[in-house]
Amino acid sequence: MAPAADEAKSGNGGQIQRPFTFNEIVLRNRLTALVVDGDNFCRLLQQGILQAYGLQTQTVDNGDAAVELIASGAKFDLILIDMLLPILDGLEATRRIRAMGVNCKMLGVTAFSGERERQAFLAAGVDLFVEKPLGPEVLIPILRELDGQYPSI
Amino acid sequence: MEVVQIQRRLVDFTKSLFMEVIPSKKNKTGTLRHTNLLTKISVLCLICLVLLLLVVVDREKGLLDSQFLQLQQLQDESNPDFVVEVVSLFFDDSEKLLNELTIALDQPNVDFKKVDGYVHQLKGSSSSIGAQRVKNACVDFRNFCEVQNIEGCRTCLQQVKQECYLVKNKLETLFRLEQQIVASGGSIPMIEMDF
Repeated sequence: MAPAADEAKSGNGGQIQRPFTFNEIVLRNRLTALVVDGDNFCRLLQQGILQAYGLQTQTVDNGDAAVELIASGAKFDLILIDMLLPILDGLEATRRIRAMGVNCKMLGVTAFSGERERQAFLAAGVDLFVEKPLGPEVLIPILRELDGQYPSI
Repeated sequence: MEVVQIQRRLVDFTKSLFMEVIPSKKNKTGTLRHTNLLTKISVLCLICLVLLLLVVVDREKGLLDSQFLQLQQLQDESNPDFVVEVVSLFFDDSEKLLNELTIALDQPNVDFKKVDGYVHQLKGSSSSIGAQRVKNACVDFRNFCEVQNIEGCRTCLQQVKQECYLVKNKLETLFRLEQQIVASGGSIPMIEMDF
């Protein structure tokens, strides 16, 4: 049973938890993730968030390294990729990853917020365009979907 | 100070970070200059853009938004220093970015693409930690980069620095209060927020 994002819980002296908190979810499967972000802080933070949910997470700081890692045979259930990356940008890296036949869930997680960028990233092959920050309202349903707890949308 | 008093103080202080109203600096448009190259229409458009930015962007936002609370939710016994470490890393990185921006804007020929890149990076990291006023200042900053307005950029840089300094001080106070509670044998109280 999945706790809904807007379900209120009482406890701890009568205080009600606010909606959209990071709910605890128990993943039945061992999921793996790759974080591709050129910014040191964002890369480590996203890794920390995914690891907190129990995902085995690797990180790279540029698009070329991401493509090479996947070309070497590494497989991931989830890829978080930024748009603005050194060496090889996120759009081209995404195209090349998809061209290799990789069908895993890819989220374009970027500080860009424009419609033009959104369309470009989706056209490149990401499944979802997410303006930073990556919050639980986006991440949790995806993790549940990947874990097989819910059918794909 | 008794644990209960510190806990109460922590709750009130934490709530204030999300509700804080700080008067905005006025008359940014008064600092803008136009060069001989701009026509009267271009100047008017620029002023309208700035006014729009000042009116539309709500300056009375809290220092932090829900993303910070969400990061706190991830902290547990197995990762008790998660938030402190994340915050510390953010301010280390942002300090470097602000230094790079200062240097970039001091150049005789400003590379606005480079400046925009730094601001874009800071926008991403500040939003990821929930420092919404820093993020909003970055949004303004990028708009001035787009029109290559050097004075607007320099004003925004000062604004971003101020917002970073402010949120850093507040978070240091927050962590100090939390440490006092833990050192006194108490537990960190859950904060109830309505967004």
